[in-house]
Amino acid sequence: MSRPTDTTDPEFVPFFGTWRAIYVAVIVVNLVAMALVYLFSRFPY
Amino acid sequence: MSTLDWTVLAVYLTGIVVFGYWVGRNNRKVDDFFLAGRQMPWWAIGLSVMATQISAITFIGTTGQAYGDGMRFLVVYFALPFAMVILCLTLVPFFYRAKVFTAYEYLEQRFDLKTRTITSLLFLLQRGMAVGVTLYAPSLVLSTILGLSESVTILVMGGSTILYVMKGGNRSVIWTDVVQMGIIWIGIFSCLFVAIYRLPDNVSLRGALSIAQTAGRFNAVDLDPSLTKPYTLWGGVIGGLFLMLSYFGCDQSQVQRYLSGSSLTQSKLSLLFNAFLKVPMQFIILLTGILVFVFYQFQPPPALFNSVARTQFEAVRSPEKTRAESRYASAFEIRKKAALDLTANRGPEEASRYLAAQKEFAEARTDVAAVYKESTGVADYNDTNYVFLHYILTQIPHGLLGLIIAVIFAAAMSSLSGEFNSLATASMIDFVRRFRGAGTDERDLFLSRVFTALWGGFACLIALQAGRLGSAIEVVNKFGSYFYGSILGVFMLAVLTKRANGTGASVGLFAGMGVVGLVVTFTRIHFLWWNLVGATTVFVIGYAISLAVPSKVRAS
Repeated sequence: MSRPTDTTDPEFVPFFGTWRAIYVAVIVVNLVAMALVYLFSRFPY
Repeated sequence: MSTLDWTVLAVYLTGIVVFGYWVGRNNRKVDDFFLAGRQMPWWAIGLSVMATQISAITFIGTTGQAYGDGMRFLVVYFALPFAMVILCLTLVPFFYRAKVFTAYEYLEQRFDLKTRTITSLLFLLQRGMAVGVTLYAPSLVLSTILGLSESVTILVMGGSTILYVMKGGNRSVIWTDVVQMGIIWIGIFSCLFVAIYRLPDNVSLRGALSIAQTAGRFNAVDLDPSLTKPYTLWGGVIGGLFLMLSYFGCDQSQVQRYLSGSSLTQSKLSLLFNAFLKVPMQFIILLTGILVFVFYQFQPPPALFNSVARTQFEAVRSPEKTRAESRYASAFEIRKKAALDLTANRGPEEASRYLAAQKEFAEARTDVAAVYKESTGVADYNDTNYVFLHYILTQIPHGLLGLIIAVIFAAAMSSLSGEFNSLATASMIDFVRRFRGAGTDERDLFLSRVFTALWGGFACLIALQAGRLGSAIEVVNKFGSYFYGSILGVFMLAVLTKRANGTGASVGLFAGMGVVGLVVTFTRIHFLWWNLVGATTVFVIGYAISLAVPSKVRAS
């Protein structure tokens, strides 16, 4: 399999510091957004 | 449209062409033209990726869809952030390190020439026809509201985009996309503000949201496991994931944007930037459409939002028309009273009365449309794309109206520019340079510009003929959705397996397209699932054939 020789990226990741942190942030923010949309749609206005 | 609106629109069009021409003035090599010299910062690419995805029809159609159908469409974007993370971990590093110009070029490094050629050809075929539709759909709508002929709007929109993409290539595409995305954001927030501001004095925002909720417009999360029901949560998250992976991972119009990053980090950040912003942006667009729906609870909406259809219908004289119009007017008054009662007292009785009135109103509107079709001989009538336009033309103050029309132009041009550029890239890199070899910088740059002009001209030609080619275009677009997921399956074989080979990938690709064709023809499975079907079929069959017919694996 032709995997990239180096899957880590040495450059600094702005705001988050590491790739792991930014990936987790993206997933958490999206899950929160989905939950907020659900609450928004069910909120007793 | 007042003189002020026309001035705003003219300033936008002139400004964007001049700016696009200016930023792209220093291209010297093909690398500059197609990948902006691989020097772009993440935020510019991120905005460009976003702008390329938002077409004019996304902007005006999505608000119209929210007006008629609520927020269900939002689920399509729930999977986008997940897809971006997966792409950052898989395909993007492969593309970047392979130093490719096109996604399909990587397939030759991993498999063989035929796999690259077939996938690139499929891209050119589908995207080449689709770009005509990208141009035609907003041109048709804009011609109606601006009182110009379709040919004029097609040539202005297509011609001005060709001008700056020919000159500056990807650098012009990205920087004009940044400006256009800024204009689009201003337009989106302006529309949301106006939609809230235009609510009647005696209706609070909370009351407005209560009406929308009672009318079922906040139906964003549907947990129904049905595969045939449109826009369920599962269809959005699972099917949508494969759709987003296909679009952002295998479609050259997107891949080319992030290959322009100055480093792998910049490329990945550009996608993650989209992952954070896309769902909130779509939410705001849909919410604006829903507030327009609430606005028309208190102000009589036209039964036919398309002004051309309305004018035709006005000339009709028949008792059926009088009856249908009278029913419509009466249904509106009853619904208006029910809506006001509901905002004053949000009890179950008021809600039930409002729902009955809303149902009668929807039926009365369908009745008018049916009489219109019968009396004018029009076979099909759908005014989803005209709802928001009618609203802005009648409710948005002058000056801002010109800006919103400019937003629609910007949304269309940002998609077109990326598509012209990616079509030229695939033609030049996967065919001319692959089969005839690289020439001098001057020759290749010249040919790249010729291809941009040819694809732009082709898009204009298709758009100009679209009225006559209607069903043919639909067939081509449907055909496109057959292989979108299948191409993703080929890339999955490339990066997820060691033993897959070119023969397996090519046979798998055709098998995937065939199976999706069968699913589309013989089942009612919703389109969000098609990409999953295609990708899985290609992966399973392609891998099995690779094991059965082994060949030398080429490493990149």
